[in-house]
Amino acid sequence: MAEQEKLVIMATHGPEDRVRAVIPFVMGVAAVVMDVECIIGFQGTSVELLRDDTADHIEVTGFPPLRQLMDDFVEQGGKLLVCAPCIQARDLTPAPHFQIEVVHAARFVAEILSATSSISY
Amino acid sequence: MDVTGSMTMAELEGLVDLKVVDARGSACPGPLLEAKKGIATVPVGDVIEIWSSDPGTKADVSVWSAKVGHGFLGVLAADGYDRVFVRRAK
Repeated sequence: MAEQEKLVIMATHGPEDRVRAVIPFVMGVAAVVMDVECIIGFQGTSVELLRDDTADHIEVTGFPPLRQLMDDFVEQGGKLLVCAPCIQARDLTPAPHFQIEVVHAARFVAEILSATSSISY
Repeated sequence: MDVTGSMTMAELEGLVDLKVVDARGSACPGPLLEAKKGIATVPVGDVIEIWSSDPGTKADVSVWSAKVGHGFLGVLAADGYDRVFVRRAK
């Protein structure tokens, strides 16, 4: 039986760069639909996407709304990991409707090292 | 990219009573997600027909089919959208 392929996508942009905020989730949804295990990691300003209803108001031409992409990604089995220091520095409490896991740097490193491939946006 | 399927246009046009997944108006990767959901609703061996107004869908579905092991049968152009045919193989 073939080994499960795994993709780690690091999202590092938030509302200040809507295209770079959305594209990781376009790729993430495509990955899980293709039966690839996928993790999206939030670092830097991307954690702002988890604040209140911020993601509900982000959409770029040619793609579904960000919130829909995030929900589809999780519904299809994708995992969201969030950088603990990044949210602490912003005094940010992720909105409860997101299924996330708050982690530190070593976890990101471990996930990337165990992945078939990784991408950073 | 080559999106040629395993059936001719005449063969595709002869397929009837298929499960239709209407993803018209949905943007990438929406039609792909709808295709995955739709094919799960039919028995192995059956064919689904995905309707999409996104011109990238036929290429996406071709790649997806090859990756996950379904049979990409081909594409017919309709009025403002593509009809993409996939046979569930597992």
